Amino acid sequence: MFASISSAVLHGAVGHPIRVEVHVGKGLPGFTISGLPDESVRESRDRVRAAILSSALPYPDIRITVNLAPSDQRKTGSGLDLAIAVGILAASGVVDPAAAQAVAYVGELGLDGSLRAIPGVAPMVGSLGDEDVVVPVDSAVEAHVAARGTVRLLQRLDELVAVLNAEQPWPEHEPPAPPPEVTTSADLADVHGQHAARRSLEIAAAGGHHLLMVGPPGAGKTMLASRLPGLLPALDRERALEATMVHSAAGVRLPAGGLITRPPYRAPHHTTSAVALVGGGSGSIRPGEISLAHCGVLFMDEIAEFAPKVLDGLRQPLENRHITVSRSKINVVLPADFLLVAAMNPCPCGGGAPGACRCNAANLHRYLRRLSGPLLDRFDLRVDVHRPGVDDLLASTGGEATAVVAERVRLAREAAVGRQGCLNSRLDGSRLDRFAPLDTGGRAVLRDRLERGRLSARGYHRVRRVARTIADLDPRQPDVIPERAIHLALELRAPFDEALGRVA
Amino acid sequence: MTGASIPGAGYVAALASFDRMTATRLRALLRDRDPQEAYALAAGRVQPSDPIATLFAEYADLAQRWRTEARRHRPADAWRRCVEAGVDVVRPDDARFPAQLLGDPACPAVLFVRGDLDVLDARRVGIVGTRNATQQGRATAARFGAELAEAGVVVVSGLARGVDGAAHRGALSVDGSHPVGIVGNGLDQPYPRQHAELWARVAARGALVSEWPPGTPPDAFRFPLRNRILAALVEVLVVVESRERGGSLITAKEAGERSVDVMAVPGSVHSPASAGTNRLLSDGAAPATETADILVALGLDTRRAGRTRFDPRPAPRGTAAAIVESCRSQPLTLDAVVDSTGLSVADAAMAVARLERDGWLRSTGGWFEAIDEWADLA
Ligand SMILES: [Zn+2]
Repeated sequence: MFASISSAVLHGAVGHPIRVEVHVGKGLPGFTISGLPDESVRESRDRVRAAILSSALPYPDIRITVNLAPSDQRKTGSGLDLAIAVGILAASGVVDPAAAQAVAYVGELGLDGSLRAIPGVAPMVGSLGDEDVVVPVDSAVEAHVAARGTVRLLQRLDELVAVLNAEQPWPEHEPPAPPPEVTTSADLADVHGQHAARRSLEIAAAGGHHLLMVGPPGAGKTMLASRLPGLLPALDRERALEATMVHSAAGVRLPAGGLITRPPYRAPHHTTSAVALVGGGSGSIRPGEISLAHCGVLFMDEIAEFAPKVLDGLRQPLENRHITVSRSKINVVLPADFLLVAAMNPCPCGGGAPGACRCNAANLHRYLRRLSGPLLDRFDLRVDVHRPGVDDLLASTGGEATAVVAERVRLAREAAVGRQGCLNSRLDGSRLDRFAPLDTGGRAVLRDRLERGRLSARGYHRVRRVARTIADLDPRQPDVIPERAIHLALELRAPFDEALGRVA
Repeated sequence: MTGASIPGAGYVAALASFDRMTATRLRALLRDRDPQEAYALAAGRVQPSDPIATLFAEYADLAQRWRTEARRHRPADAWRRCVEAGVDVVRPDDARFPAQLLGDPACPAVLFVRGDLDVLDARRVGIVGTRNATQQGRATAARFGAELAEAGVVVVSGLARGVDGAAHRGALSVDGSHPVGIVGNGLDQPYPRQHAELWARVAARGALVSEWPPGTPPDAFRFPLRNRILAALVEVLVVVESRERGGSLITAKEAGERSVDVMAVPGSVHSPASAGTNRLLSDGAAPATETADILVALGLDTRRAGRTRFDPRPAPRGTAAAIVESCRSQPLTLDAVVDSTGLSVADAAMAVARLERDGWLRSTGGWFEAIDEWADLA
């Protein structure tokens, strides 16, 4: 008559355990679900009924009442289907209630009785603690990466009846083949010339500084950006789980081992919508590109071509390293701690060497104004990237390999975290004075720039942060930042938009 | 103002404002007629005789178009604008009309002038070039402008952004010089607007010349026409920088057709701003690398000793001097500085920053250009 089944729902990128309480009893035939289900959960009534009937199982044409607990929490998505179906089968005596209630269930049902994968199985299974859990075969990798209990794989609802009634053992299903390994042959050794851009990638990786590359088409901005994740250290267990949960919640297939161990690299196109970039959507709230780039790199090519509204959505995550997506009655906080690399042309025509630009002043202004001052301010590094010279392309040897640079990056990050507990990009005013003192030459250079109005107060702090990272990348790791580090930091913060009267 | 009290110049100015008016058509209208009659004829108020009758017959809608234009461009208004802008209306029968233009096949029917056309009695050199000039190009134009003015030569240019403006600034830096500007729009509206002060100074010291009356906008089609006047007025035309298909090349072609000597400043083969000038050189133009080259072409002997300006900047040494020297031949990126010096990126950044501070280099969009001592005028 009654069964209480364990399941879970997804809230952003976080799973929450749910108890599905099913009562089957006398009364007018009907099927009600209480406990703050949203539309997607209510639809499960039709799927569950069809799935039970097409599995040739008896469906109780009497009153079915389902309550979802805890009752103060909104429930979205179709992942409760399987638990509701099992609850009905247990409460109406089709399967052994004790056996049914000993396991948790996460998965959607097809009308034909098949089990379907849903996004977010990893965080949902993770929320179930050490309970054993039944999931669709296609969710195997996600369930295994998060489960502390045993994971059971099912293809169809009817397989379950024999198992729960102790007529057969759990079926042995082969988990699906993992997605093909993305072979990242992108090594810095393949980059010829581009000394300044290479250096800025290294600094960005070492200090967590957001990077804007400005250069004409064909200068290799995309090629450079794709090499940045390789410079970042592998994710520690905690960060790897965070990234994995977000990917699972977004319905992105996980790599063979399940866990995402390398910093992700996301490169949304400039036609990407605000929802796809920052997250949201109708139905359940899905993580956007900025959350998929969590713990990794978000590359925005042609950043000036993104819709202003989309770019606006970057402000909160760049400030707080997470994003709050609000829909009626639901607020979801999604992680969004990413390293932003953006690229743009210096002007609409592409520009190039002095004298090459064919833009008129009005068009140039309109183009540069697309990037708001506050957004531009987020980039500690703004580097001019040029088409490599013929000599560079012909040179037989590229520059240093990714592995060599990544080792310097690792040491610099360790130095920063050891000194101040965070990367240099997070140093603020008072801690800058304490942890990033300048030598007299460097102070004089910055004072001169400030007095001549060629450096803003904000720029002053950003230059010092970057200079701190430059000094940390030096094998001697000097406590006092030398003048040459200041010069390089200034050079890597080019006021490319001086046509608008902005300064570094 | 009644018709009788408007001078003939008002009618000429109104006619010159007409859409589809050309120098040839205006000359034909004004031939053997006083301006008031010419205006009545163009406005369709009297029966046309040849050649105007043929013109109207040839272009079916022209008579109609000009009747409309006559309602838009009233002689009284046109005259008032000339007076307000201090613009003289100079026709070929006027003693002030430049003699160099009288024999020209494309002689303008009228010139609108601010300033004194008599300054054209001196030796005349045109300096033209691209609007998007490099720092180097603007400095070269300023140096030529100043040193030619120093030698008593009248500098003629188009007052556009870039090379043109720099040439005039250079000429104006010399006391007693008389630069001449030929422009493609009405003299009451300086174009580009940032050059308003430059226009005023050229008008005060020399002359500003346009083929069109006050109120005429700077339409693109007018600039090639302006170029022919510039080419016809000078003895030597110097193209400082020009892109592959730049407007300066039209001026050079017009000059060539008039047997005016064309000179060009050689530039790096890598610089798009020098693509046109390098083409001119390979087509036979004489190279102009210093002002003396131009003075020699004018037949002026001028081996003046020494530079006329003192350079107060601390001289760079060693690697720094080498960087300035490389940037002189073509703008360099930081990467190129690294490649040519072997310095680390940080040391290269420090070297160029110091050269920038001392006034030897200027950085634009990640390119470093050498600044020579004329840059403050460019
Ligand atoms: Zn451009």
